[in-house]
Amino acid sequence: MKIAKRATTLLSVGVAALSLGLGSMAAMADGPLRGNVRVLIGSTSTGGDTYQNASIVAERLAEHLGLNIKVDAVGASSAFRTLSRDSRGNTLMIFHDQSYLGHVYGVQGYDDIFEEYRVGPTLAVNPGNAYLVPKNSPYETLDDIIEAVGNGETVRVAIQPGGVSEIGFSALKNAIALEHPGQEDNLVAINTGSQSDKNQQLFDGQADMISGTLQANEQYTRLPEDDQKAMRFVWLTARQSIMEQSPEEGLGQTSREQLLEYVEPNVQVPMGDGENFTFDKEFFFLYNRDMDPAIVEQIDTALAEIYAEGEIQNVQQSLFFIPNFMPSDEAEAHLHDKMTRYQEIIDNLQ
Amino acid sequence: MEFLSLFDLTFFLLAAFGTLVGVIFGAIPGMTATMAVAVCLPLTYALGLHHGLALLLGLYVGGISGGMVPAVLLNIPGTPSSITTTFDGYPMARKGQGEKALRICVIASLVGGLISALVLFLFAPVLANFSIKFSYVEKFLIILLALSVIASLSSSMLIGIFSGVIGIWLSLIGDYSISDGGNGHTRLMFDFMEPYLFEGFSLLPVLIGIFGVATILLEAEKGVKSDLTHERVKVSKSDGAGALAAFKGRFTNLTRSSFIGTFVGMLPGVGGSAASVLAYTQEKNLSRDTSQMGKGAPQGLIASESANNALTGGALIPLLSLGIPGDATTAVLIGAFTLQGIQVGPLFIPENTTTWYVMMTALVFANIVMFFLMFYAIKYIAKVVMVPKHILFPLIVMMCVVGAYAINYGIMFDVWTLLIFGVLGYLIQKIGLEVAPLIIGFILGSQAEVYFVKSLESFGTYTIFFTRSPIAMVLWALIAASVLFSIVIRLKARNKTTTQTP
Repeated sequence: MKIAKRATTLLSVGVAALSLGLGSMAAMADGPLRGNVRVLIGSTSTGGDTYQNASIVAERLAEHLGLNIKVDAVGASSAFRTLSRDSRGNTLMIFHDQSYLGHVYGVQGYDDIFEEYRVGPTLAVNPGNAYLVPKNSPYETLDDIIEAVGNGETVRVAIQPGGVSEIGFSALKNAIALEHPGQEDNLVAINTGSQSDKNQQLFDGQADMISGTLQANEQYTRLPEDDQKAMRFVWLTARQSIMEQSPEEGLGQTSREQLLEYVEPNVQVPMGDGENFTFDKEFFFLYNRDMDPAIVEQIDTALAEIYAEGEIQNVQQSLFFIPNFMPSDEAEAHLHDKMTRYQEIIDNLQ
Repeated sequence: MEFLSLFDLTFFLLAAFGTLVGVIFGAIPGMTATMAVAVCLPLTYALGLHHGLALLLGLYVGGISGGMVPAVLLNIPGTPSSITTTFDGYPMARKGQGEKALRICVIASLVGGLISALVLFLFAPVLANFSIKFSYVEKFLIILLALSVIASLSSSMLIGIFSGVIGIWLSLIGDYSISDGGNGHTRLMFDFMEPYLFEGFSLLPVLIGIFGVATILLEAEKGVKSDLTHERVKVSKSDGAGALAAFKGRFTNLTRSSFIGTFVGMLPGVGGSAASVLAYTQEKNLSRDTSQMGKGAPQGLIASESANNALTGGALIPLLSLGIPGDATTAVLIGAFTLQGIQVGPLFIPENTTTWYVMMTALVFANIVMFFLMFYAIKYIAKVVMVPKHILFPLIVMMCVVGAYAINYGIMFDVWTLLIFGVLGYLIQKIGLEVAPLIIGFILGSQAEVYFVKSLESFGTYTIFFTRSPIAMVLWALIAASVLFSIVIRLKARNKTTTQTP
């Protein structure tokens, strides 16, 4: 009996503590957004940059708003479908430029995000979108590749079709079409899936260049030349001004100074209007079209305060992301412009 | 020896706790090691890298091992890689040898886990270099080799192959995903199905449906006459010695299966379930006496469980020496590193020796904890079969439904998948088709397609499948041998029956 009594007391203390805890939690969450919030990301990987960015932001937002926020890596099509069903604001999405590039490339499952959803604030840039060749490749620079393709040589590039991985390829093809009209079809896309597939294509000699990332491929670039796996960067698509904001020590053992060698203006991919092609992979929120504007406002304000504190920037930079907060309206206009620019390149090629 | 200072009590407690939670996740149909690791991934922020890894590796090892429990006792593979465990485990449980079967599984799991950890520790970089010799062509052939199990697994070869083809066909429903380098278009369905079936049927609800729900339906059909299960199923006592005796003369099987598991784990993109299927096939082909396999033979359990636990070490090889995860769980595990800003790639081990030793310690420790935890808990766990069916079955169905709903973070169609395949599994057995080949076809079909198409896209000719590399030729020889063996075994069996019944 004694034990039972003690157990009951313990239990009631527990319940009381829990309700107090929940009570204080509920008291903190006094904005329009309440309850549990799921942040879906457009990638199924928990090892990738989308998950990293989403979890950095979700953790701080949860703390700031006094809500439970959980990041789920469900993948693009699943995330879009779930997001379009929930207008309460309890389902949010974080994704990157793939969300509109997929639509521009006509990939199934990608609608126009500016029509079907509401674009939320931008969060950060990953300046690591890269193109690599084997270390013993005859092509030293991207110019060599443009020149070779212009001279009728076939260069095979392993990409994942319909998005971030393809946009650099499209731009390169466009640049070749401008400089060596009619020769652009010598730049051949090899459609692959994951990064490991792309790497494998390079190891097998089935591709001459691959799309990759700074984060995933940097160690490969430090292998000795006689290693079958050794690679070399030829192009990082980020803007120079963005790369300059990265930590000075760079990533791994490649310093920022070395990385800047692969960025414009050292690497030129002309777009035809006197401008040079660049691409920064940006992460941003996507909301249900009918979500309460007050929640949009609430998240904008919360993020503005979080970014004003300055701690989040340190975390983002330590993981080699460039902080880039823009509130919803500004973000929407910026991303819409960005889409229009890339749409032109893709249209030119069709 | 600097890393020794990192081992405090918390480290070992976390690894042990992770293993325990993992075992529970693995044992609940619909919850997997991958899910356990994904749920706990954000904890690595709070715990720090090394403590976080201890927890996650515990979850990984525990999750893979826990799958054996429902596989043996309820005919439900708790994780996809324990599907071959059901083949012999469930028949043994029905004969009242559930406890013995589980003990055999636990011992095999421990050996598999430790062998793969040893291989990982000693040969990771060398093996990573070997694994990149496997292009699309070789991966396709590995899958084909695993598919060849269908020939030897079915009781009637023609029906078996037919069932396998249906399984492959079912696996192709949905889109040929862009993330696999496909075109993202859906096929084999009507337009109205697209919202549900865009990504095809999910693996786990199909597995649980076709095994678990179908088994329950079959049992339910028999009615409640023999309701109290324990009246029918006697649970014979088994101690460690009895289980150990089952390993007598099975050393080759145990080692071979462990190496197969490690090897398959090492190849990125050749999913975990292929490991146990392949180990099971090889045992079936190479063992002298296979007449009891599929009817409750310990050798089947040894092959299946040592292989699926050996996956753990194997899948860590490409993760730690190429930065490429070897299976679904290590794909989640990679998050533990990236969240802390640590690059995993070909230079991970030389540049992070401390973390590397920490991981090895956690991996070995988790395997040992798993062994003690399960070996001694088995006699209680095995009593599940004594719960009266009218209580047990509704509970299982409920767990299956919750698991199916949870597997893709709350998709209701997954629950329908579970029920559809439950009924389908029941009908399949009624009309005489075979479940095992069908499910193996389903698991391996979509990978076979991707690698087949990619091989042709890359190399542009059918002959490449034969001429690509010496590895490809060896694989063809193994495939031919596998098919030949099953034909010979079948002919022998037929001769036997004809001589017995003149």
